[in-house]
Amino acid sequence: MTPLLASLGAATPWLLWLLPLAGLPLLLSVTRRSPVASVAAAPEDPVSSGLRIALTAAGMLAIGGLVLALAGPYRAGERVTRTGIGAQISMLIDRSGSMNETFAGRQPSGAEESKAMASRRILRDFVGERAHDQFAVTAFSTAPMLVVPMTDRHDAVRAAIAAIDRPGLDYTNVARGLGMALSQFGAGAPGVSRALLLVSDGAAVIDPRIQAQLRAEFTKVQPNLYWLFLRTKGSPSIYDKPAGEDTPQAAPERHLDLFFKSLGVPYRAFEAEGADAVAGAVRQIEALERDPIPYTEERPRRNLTGWAYGLAAFGLLLLVLAKLAETDFLRRPVRERDAAAAGPARATPKKAAA
Amino acid sequence: MSGPEEAVDGGADIIYLPRWRPGGHRVGAHRGREAGGLGTFRDPVSFLRLPDARRIDLRASLRDPFEGVFVRRFEARSPVETWALVDLSASMRFRGRADRRDLTGAFCTSLARSATRIGDGFGVIGCDRTLREDLFLPATRHRAAAQTAAARLGEASCEGGGAEGFLEAARRLAGRPKLIFLVSDFRWPEALIEEVFAALALHDVTPVLLADSAEDEGLPNWGLVELDDLEGAGRRLVFLRPSLRRRWIAREAERVERLRRICAPFARPPFRLADRFDAEALSRHLMTT
Repeated sequence: MTPLLASLGAATPWLLWLLPLAGLPLLLSVTRRSPVASVAAAPEDPVSSGLRIALTAAGMLAIGGLVLALAGPYRAGERVTRTGIGAQISMLIDRSGSMNETFAGRQPSGAEESKAMASRRILRDFVGERAHDQFAVTAFSTAPMLVVPMTDRHDAVRAAIAAIDRPGLDYTNVARGLGMALSQFGAGAPGVSRALLLVSDGAAVIDPRIQAQLRAEFTKVQPNLYWLFLRTKGSPSIYDKPAGEDTPQAAPERHLDLFFKSLGVPYRAFEAEGADAVAGAVRQIEALERDPIPYTEERPRRNLTGWAYGLAAFGLLLLVLAKLAETDFLRRPVRERDAAAAGPARATPKKAAA
Repeated sequence: MSGPEEAVDGGADIIYLPRWRPGGHRVGAHRGREAGGLGTFRDPVSFLRLPDARRIDLRASLRDPFEGVFVRRFEARSPVETWALVDLSASMRFRGRADRRDLTGAFCTSLARSATRIGDGFGVIGCDRTLREDLFLPATRHRAAAQTAAARLGEASCEGGGAEGFLEAARRLAGRPKLIFLVSDFRWPEALIEEVFAALALHDVTPVLLADSAEDEGLPNWGLVELDDLEGAGRRLVFLRPSLRRRWIAREAERVERLRRICAPFARPPFRLADRFDAEALSRHLMTT
């Protein structure tokens, strides 16, 4: 209750000094008084006494509501922290030149869609399926690009994802991208489920020095790591051992996988060789990330004047109804009064004639 | 509604018969206890007792075996005093179909005229919590004085509450029996009503119950009414509806019935004076009770 009161305000607070006027109905009543010899003549009636209380309350409501409405009440905007089901998901999307190709490794022609377009389509559906997911989007090629910081504005995230099929360029420098994607999580609340989704169609060698830094970062952030590997047909799989020397240079994908496995965070790799496989992988990720997440909701300042006027109108309506129901029982009914007025008028000519 | 002027101009007299034989040697209009004068035959008495040779009753004298001489005796006509005891408490300011004070004024003017016309005295005592000396009129046969005092009641200020002044009025009226009209709405505590009637028991008392049809039969079936007590008992909002109206009317009827029961041992049954003063109706009431 207290925080609610604290968030209330008025545009012209000095008008609230008039609020004691709302006590007037306690002293005065809306109905016309009929002086009678004894009120004890009327039998006790709980309905009537209830009605008296109701009408007094309506009068107070009407005056109080009007004063309040004139003062312009509002509820101040605030951030509300709630808990929903969702996760903080940092997407790291490969923007290297090879993403422009189809899964078959060609330039797309006709109805074919490139890897970037397929991932755009699928990721776009992924965003916004659950209201309380938070997303950050980072792209990388040679250098990482911060596209959208961690946010729950899904429109912005979808717009960012819609932009990832712009023609990519240059090479795949996954190490710096990972660093930026990790930094997107920020401090965050404890117990939040965090996921890092890496979408790429290739891998690169990670410098051993940077490897140590990344390892430290991963340990700090503790995200669930998902690697959605968009495998071009004919290119080596994550799990393929190269025929020759097994070095990071010869099989960067395999070694990136090994590096991820060695990080000590929950890790899954999805190897997708087509749009359907990508969709399946995304669904799996979605199913895995189901944890409570605290999220903040921004509530704008809300004008309560309408409510105040509404309350006053309700009170006034009751009072008007009471006024309409009022009778002046001490006055003679109109019919009788007319008859009394007509009586002497008729009698006078007779007298004159006599 | 008949105002005082109307009552002065015309309207029937109030005809009343005292329940007792008034004594005294003044000449009036009612059958007295004493003998004398030219009234109705009363009894033959011995000539020795009433040596009035003009009224010797030959028939009775001849019929007497002892040969006594008899004289006819006639009833004397004696006056009575009529008093109007008027409640002037704040509830008399009530104004429904009729103004209660106008009604009282009309009644008193009519009574003053009717009484003084036949040689009866007319007196007025106004009471609220105390006896109102400013409106006191000792019983007089002076026609103009009686009329003025009665008319003054119609303009009297009614501010006080209570009706204890009637007890003092009863003390002031001690002595010979009088014809008393107790004009009030009788919205007093029942104990006080009984006390007042008991104090006036020696007199011939007619309670005149001031009522108003707006207060019972004229109540509307539906409506919202705020009652404001003239005697300062506060305000009350009443939502009138047929069932409540029935209860209200039944309650009023019960109150009148209770009043009738209380005054039955001491006085005549109450006369209901509502909306309009009708002297003939009061005469009928007085002749039949």
